[in-house]
Amino acid sequence: MSSGWQVGIDIGGTFTDVVAFQSTKGAVIQAKVRSRPEDPIASLLAALHAVGIDWEQVDDLMHGTTMVTNAIIESKLAQAALVATDGFADTLAIGRQNRRYLYRLDLPPKSEPQIPEALRIGVTERMDFRGHVLEALTEDVIEDTARKVAASGVKAVAVSLLHAYANSVHEERLGARLRQVVPYVALSHRVSPEAREFERTSTTALSAGVMPLTAGYLDRLEVRRPAESALHLFHSAGGMAEPDALRDLPLGLAFSGPAAGVSAAGWVANALGLDNVISFDMGGTTTDVCLIVGGKAEIRSDRSLGGRPLRMPTVAVESIGAGGGSIARLDTGALRVGPESAGADPGPACYGLGGALPTVSDADLVLGYLDARRPVGDIVLNRDAAVTALKPLAKAAGVELPALALGITRVATASMARALRRVTVERGIDGRDCVLLAFGGAGPMHAVELARSFGIGQVIVPCFSSVFSALGCVTAEMSYTQQRTVRMASDDWDQTRLDGIRIELMAQLAPLLESAGHTAPAVTEVAAVRYSGQSYAVEVTAPALANPDPLGEQFRARHQTLYGFAKDEPWELVFLRLTLSAPRRVHPNSFAAKPSGVVAPTRRTDCWFENEAPVMTPRFARDALGEGSRLEGPAIVEDDWSTVVLPPGATLSVDGSSHLHIDVGEAA
Amino acid sequence: MTASVDPFKLEVIRHALSAIAEEMSLVVMRSARSPLLREAGDLSSALTDASGELIAQGRDIPMHMGVMSFTVKEFLKRVPAERLVTGDVWYLNLPETGGNHLPDVKAIRPIFADGALLAFAVSLAHWADIGGALPGSYVPTATDAWQEGLRLPPLRLFTADGPDREKLDLVLANVRGASEREGDILAQTAATRMADRRFQELCSWHGAQIVQTAMTMLHARAETQMREALSKLPRGTYEGEDWLDDDGAGGDPVPIRVRIELEGDHATFDFSASGDATRGPINTTPFIAAASVFYAIKALVGPDIQPNGGCYRPLRVITRPGSVLDPGPERPVVGGNHETSQRVADAIFRALEPALPEGLTAGGPTTSGLLLFAGRRGDGAWTTLYETHGGGEGARCDRDGMPVIRVHMSNVMNTPAEIIEAEYPIRVECQHIRRGSGGAGAHRGGDGLHREYRILVDDVSLTSMFERAVVPPYGLQGGAPGALFQVNVVRASGETYRMPGKANLRLAKGDRVIVESCGGGGYGASPES
Repeated sequence: MSSGWQVGIDIGGTFTDVVAFQSTKGAVIQAKVRSRPEDPIASLLAALHAVGIDWEQVDDLMHGTTMVTNAIIESKLAQAALVATDGFADTLAIGRQNRRYLYRLDLPPKSEPQIPEALRIGVTERMDFRGHVLEALTEDVIEDTARKVAASGVKAVAVSLLHAYANSVHEERLGARLRQVVPYVALSHRVSPEAREFERTSTTALSAGVMPLTAGYLDRLEVRRPAESALHLFHSAGGMAEPDALRDLPLGLAFSGPAAGVSAAGWVANALGLDNVISFDMGGTTTDVCLIVGGKAEIRSDRSLGGRPLRMPTVAVESIGAGGGSIARLDTGALRVGPESAGADPGPACYGLGGALPTVSDADLVLGYLDARRPVGDIVLNRDAAVTALKPLAKAAGVELPALALGITRVATASMARALRRVTVERGIDGRDCVLLAFGGAGPMHAVELARSFGIGQVIVPCFSSVFSALGCVTAEMSYTQQRTVRMASDDWDQTRLDGIRIELMAQLAPLLESAGHTAPAVTEVAAVRYSGQSYAVEVTAPALANPDPLGEQFRARHQTLYGFAKDEPWELVFLRLTLSAPRRVHPNSFAAKPSGVVAPTRRTDCWFENEAPVMTPRFARDALGEGSRLEGPAIVEDDWSTVVLPPGATLSVDGSSHLHIDVGEAA
Repeated sequence: MTASVDPFKLEVIRHALSAIAEEMSLVVMRSARSPLLREAGDLSSALTDASGELIAQGRDIPMHMGVMSFTVKEFLKRVPAERLVTGDVWYLNLPETGGNHLPDVKAIRPIFADGALLAFAVSLAHWADIGGALPGSYVPTATDAWQEGLRLPPLRLFTADGPDREKLDLVLANVRGASEREGDILAQTAATRMADRRFQELCSWHGAQIVQTAMTMLHARAETQMREALSKLPRGTYEGEDWLDDDGAGGDPVPIRVRIELEGDHATFDFSASGDATRGPINTTPFIAAASVFYAIKALVGPDIQPNGGCYRPLRVITRPGSVLDPGPERPVVGGNHETSQRVADAIFRALEPALPEGLTAGGPTTSGLLLFAGRRGDGAWTTLYETHGGGEGARCDRDGMPVIRVHMSNVMNTPAEIIEAEYPIRVECQHIRRGSGGAGAHRGGDGLHREYRILVDDVSLTSMFERAVVPPYGLQGGAPGALFQVNVVRASGETYRMPGKANLRLAKGDRVIVESCGGGGYGASPES
């Protein structure tokens, strides 16, 4: 019988994080285990084992996974065929004609097309951009195409016809017939109903390429899952989805992990009433940052993965090539950090797994932030190895070891500050008005210094900061998002067509929620609007769509806010994005902290914050802190998986939900 | 005696300077009114030191690197530093004064700290119109500089008190779309103002003296990196040439010739033997020639060189006054920016073939392949499709060239067929690889593009500006050249017309324009030959 556990599990490339929450008793357990990349179900079971819960006891298991991400990055895709409008089958090889590297003549300038020429099939048919049929698709052509696809021996096929986002009937007819000859069919108007033939075709081809893998995984999950235990997956646009909804649209999992972390950050921002938050997730090889305004992360659809465009609504996370594993080197008199990384394998020198190059984590250990007596999970840190790796660099730079280590962290911080500026300025927000929400293994260690160098006054290290993506799985709503090209001019308005598009979008998404028992979902619409003749659109949230006048007002107001001017000229509704969401039945409102007691340090160690001398710094166990606890820097707060560094001048206090609030103060 | 800056602070300050330049670009993109600036990002931002030496660039655009490295230095020759005061913003677009072509207008603001001139912020933006013979100021048939538009010598449009209204009005009276242009000017000024503020913050954080020392060290560092890169090239004297098809005004092919003297950690690139300045607009400036030299070295041996002014110190770039690369103030230049700059890079690569063939790529689509379609939309408004066409990449010693790509000085994307059809009275009939167009060889050149446009209304103007229609992309080490670039217009009547590389034509409803872009050159002799 059910015991009321809600379990969030994020399966990453190296670690699997888990948060288990029992609403009836308010119990919460977290854990982190090594991932088993070859067997994700084994990772799930190991995570459940780590928190001591049987799957049979779980009401709802919600999980994020990097499976699809890794398959795309590592090009482990099923071979697919492409069916495209005759004369356009090479679009996949032509791309946008731009090259990846400005100065690298030796490297191929773009990715090889995912589908080779021999498997690209042209079909005679043609739509115009309004969806009017210029040349009909005949039954003979459909039969001929089915024969060719069957003869090719592939299991998956991508169908991407010109202007299918405006009229899908040809794709639907081909799809119906092709499903009789191959198990996996991806139709472009379903995968990415947006204009731009290369990006849509590429996205559809990727979708076809990961369908067999995803279906196989979901099948195995279904077999293993106890009948009474619900199962949801975290999708890239920041919500939970039913597994079956992802069989046809597996690319929804492409940014699953980062989206879950951002979702948790939005949940914390809402809970604390913070308007502008920058999430800061520093891991081993990359750092993910995302701007969260009013508790919501921005959605973008112009992403790419593994060198190929992937056009689907995803949370607007920016990745920076800097993390704990970033390698430091001297280059013509300056110290560079990254983008080369020791990654998770061999990892930083101090991991003792064979890495010999100096990294940010080695510097953190030498500075005393990381404690060699305290393993990071199952890794015992080796200070001697870190020193050995850093010494040659210190010698070359002509400085003592601590000065070098401080220099490495400051350079890493400077490159991250540059990325923060980009993320905020691009969206017209002054980053100094934001709160930095730090999580992940290394985020809380460097957050205060980053905040200071950027001019941010407040840092929050939320509860469960080292398993934050797993927390995001527990706290997320169930939601589905779809975006569709509309293209309607203010002076050529067709209300009937617009209403039809909205009904179709609703008809696509609503059944997905209804099948999970949600009949009255929350509806969020976003309209992208631009002046006629321009291609840069402004997003209007909660657009008035009953007639063009009020939408025009909303558009001009938004344009004025963003760009400082608005003209009374014809405009155009470019696309519509619809999100349907339903709150989860059990919602963890807060994870109550223990009342504060007397907090004593576990020990005191030397830590370096300035070049001159180390400071004897008290170290505290994070779980010893309770509501109202206050610490003055210098201090270190640590748990099994992460370390919060509080330099001199900073103060920390704990709120009733176990979030750590840090006033960064000023460096002494 | 100035203190040295440690390697960490140097890198921290380098990031901060780059962040300022990046933020300048974002300010222009967010607040400018020209679609070119807001969407295509045809703009550049830079910081220089007090002498005008480039220190940081907003984004890495090979072409603008050359321009920005010289703009402020040339500006200071005309406007002595003593005349500059806090709050000034000077505007400038003369090609011969550290420039390239008229639409790229630069805004220059001096930055003072502790009362001393410490730096300049420069915002370069491509205005959608700068006056001249045609809307958009792209005049392929221009035969002198004045037909290309308004020429702005250094002009102080802003002081600490605000805009100088009379001068501003003079500028606006001579360009199309005055209100949009005024918005662009305000955006550029705002970007330099933000840079001034950020620079002051940086100085108060580290101290102005430290920032100045760091700038000096960053220049020295780029110089060292360039010297190291040059040292990897084999010493000696090398000569090479490549040819421009024609100047569009009836001229013959124009040679671009280079004599390279590699002398260990420094080098001379002498273009004196290149052809004379042309009547048509394929001339360019010495600054663009320098940009191409920098690109070629960086691509061959110095991918890590930091793009700042220090890297030019070990380089001598010589152009002959009166030549196509140093034409003086009277000649038209609009096409030279993107065509002749590419041929300069080609000439350098061809000169180095005996020295390092394994490092080179055979000839590719070193042309913008530009077609401009101008016509009326359904609502009666004029609209222009400005479309570039990539071609086949040249082969290398270890691989075939890839199909349909942009190379060297340019990296502009194409416009999707679905966007063209929705926004212009044009249908894209097909787009596919032009099979067999790559040059034969042990490794084959990449194939070009075949794309067909059908014109759906009467009275569409078609302007061309492309190269490689006469002189094909070259092979290396015995590889065959790629197929020539060709554009054919098939009239609704069935009659076919071969479109020259620099021309203007009226199209009517039902006409088709068939673009076949050039293939890449092959590498090594074909096994079958």
